[in-house]
Amino acid sequence: MPIIEVNHLTKEYRLGAIQGLKQTVLNTGARLMGRKVEERPLFKALDDVSLSIEQGEVVGIIGHNGAGKSTLLKMLARISTPTRGSVKVDGRIAPLIEVGAGFVPDFTGRENVYLNGAILGMSRQQIDKKFDEIVDFAEMAEFIDTPVKRYSSGMQVKLAFAVATSIEAEILIVDEVLAVGDLAFQRKCFDRMEDLIKRQEKTVLLVSHNIRQVERLCSRVVLLDKGALVEDNEPSLVCNRFINLMNLSIRSDRAHRQVREIQNSGEICNINMEALNPLTKCSGSLSFGSQATLRFSFDVVSGLRGVAIYIGIHTADFVYLTNNNTAFSARDFSIGHHTVELIFDEITLIPGIYSVLLWIGTPEGKVSYHTENLATFVVASDDFSISRQQGQALFSMSGSWRFDGVELAY
Amino acid sequence: MLTIAKNLYDYRELMATLAWKNIALRYKQAYLGIAWAILKPVSLMLIFTLVKSFVGIESGNIPYPILTFAALMPWTFFQESTLDGVNSVVGNTALIKKIYFPREIFPITSVLTKLVELGINFVILAGLMVWYQMIPSIHFLWVPVIIAYTVLTALAVAFAGAAVNVYYRDVSQALPVLLSLVMYASPVIYPLQLVKNKLIVHQAAGGWSDTLYTLYTLNPLAGIIDAFQSVVLRGAPPDLNAMIPGAIMVAILLPLSYLYFKRAESYFADVI
Repeated sequence: MPIIEVNHLTKEYRLGAIQGLKQTVLNTGARLMGRKVEERPLFKALDDVSLSIEQGEVVGIIGHNGAGKSTLLKMLARISTPTRGSVKVDGRIAPLIEVGAGFVPDFTGRENVYLNGAILGMSRQQIDKKFDEIVDFAEMAEFIDTPVKRYSSGMQVKLAFAVATSIEAEILIVDEVLAVGDLAFQRKCFDRMEDLIKRQEKTVLLVSHNIRQVERLCSRVVLLDKGALVEDNEPSLVCNRFINLMNLSIRSDRAHRQVREIQNSGEICNINMEALNPLTKCSGSLSFGSQATLRFSFDVVSGLRGVAIYIGIHTADFVYLTNNNTAFSARDFSIGHHTVELIFDEITLIPGIYSVLLWIGTPEGKVSYHTENLATFVVASDDFSISRQQGQALFSMSGSWRFDGVELAY
Repeated sequence: MLTIAKNLYDYRELMATLAWKNIALRYKQAYLGIAWAILKPVSLMLIFTLVKSFVGIESGNIPYPILTFAALMPWTFFQESTLDGVNSVVGNTALIKKIYFPREIFPITSVLTKLVELGINFVILAGLMVWYQMIPSIHFLWVPVIIAYTVLTALAVAFAGAAVNVYYRDVSQALPVLLSLVMYASPVIYPLQLVKNKLIVHQAAGGWSDTLYTLYTLNPLAGIIDAFQSVVLRGAPPDLNAMIPGAIMVAILLPLSYLYFKRAESYFADVI
């Protein structure tokens, strides 16, 4: 018997602003007269989503911004109603959708705990009973009688999280709340969530952009894309697909609007750089562990003498990672079209998005051409043990382990 | 009906807490605090008394200041609770978008909040009664019934108004204007007896007089204010004839208004 059942759930929103009274009256009039009325276009926030969740499951919901995650949670929490389809929930839901909704700045911490508790459905006795625990968890004993408006934003969220997670409900809906406070508090939040999940066996729906968190906490992950349910499977499989998807979409987004400063002496033009994957013959998407080629072509306008070429790879936030150059052999380029290729035997960059910088000039330092972000490419991997390292590492280096002299077998 | 009652019971603690929030919030950083609640009816009473000394309004054997104060109490309560009720849904956007509970809690809480201020005004009323040496009669027991009826009247406007206000904020702009017009159409400055004398006794509008009087009493406030004055000051039971048209009006409007609110409620979070 599933605790949550979602059947062919569709939610449509009308785009554009609400019509003025005049337009509404005119349209109603026209409709009554049997004439057709121009409707505002519809936007499908959720498109035929079906899902069933059993008691005690911990389900992660991931997807890009605007994929429909929050809309889905809102439907489950009854905040909004479906256009089509049905949602059946068997039990009490505690929504932690953006903690701190309903905090009143003029109230003291104590007053807000009672107010927020009541809003979340706790009775006064329940709050009385849990009050000390809440304050203790939030590390707020000292400030509990100070108005919340004097709190720092971190203090507010800490208190809100403490209240929200002390509700007794069968189903917890958690939307991006673990990313609060400083590192120490995040750790505490995480432990608390884990306790709720593992020990108290609550059913939890977790929306997060933190893939590692999702993978660690959830027993099952659902991937939403443009309102549709794309994948519903084991965490590692879904997370891997999501990471690759996300990187690709960021790349195509960045490729469109790249801000780059170009330093060009005017000697060369028509520069074109691409990252090629010889396996898939695909440009812009490289596979971890396999070969890759950076190819660039350019036209020389006036003769270049004694120049070297530097090609570097850097991250989106300009951490320079590699530098391959021909400084050991500066050369001349005749007027006309040239193509240069840099071949890597094995990509050891951790999956993610990277950019290429190009520098052409003499080894002594006279610059003919220099730019960053010339091309952007994605590194992807089918192996989640590799792609999950995104954000934690930039490179992978192969190594072996030895414990008390005994080699660890993989 | 049953589900409404059950909802109200289930969420009684939330309503109490929200009402406490509204009251505490309103006076939190105000030096005069809750005293502001009495300032409005008291100052209006003084103004009306001043005006009365120029134009001369027949107030019977009851001193005019206390008569108009007894009219201002239910009137201010109705006016403010209606206004607050209509704005309550839009004013709680943050909650509407985050958490579900039956949305009628917002208008109901607004109206309940105003009951507290009404209660404070009873202290002033008691003071005035001592000053004018008036002794309450057994008919004073009608007061809770009259107030409950006023609550229902305010809710009849507040439910529909709050729901429409989500779509068209015009409501919250138009309502204050409309309500101040209604005040002149209610026996606040003048007693109902004056209207009655003109229309029923003198038949001032000829054959239309009785119809006009019924129309006048279709405004539930006409009956409410007159009844309040009667049971508190005149020591007489409420004039039911003046109350019936208004009561029928409320009995029809309140369910319609509530149903409309419940129908619109599921879209609040999308539209607000």
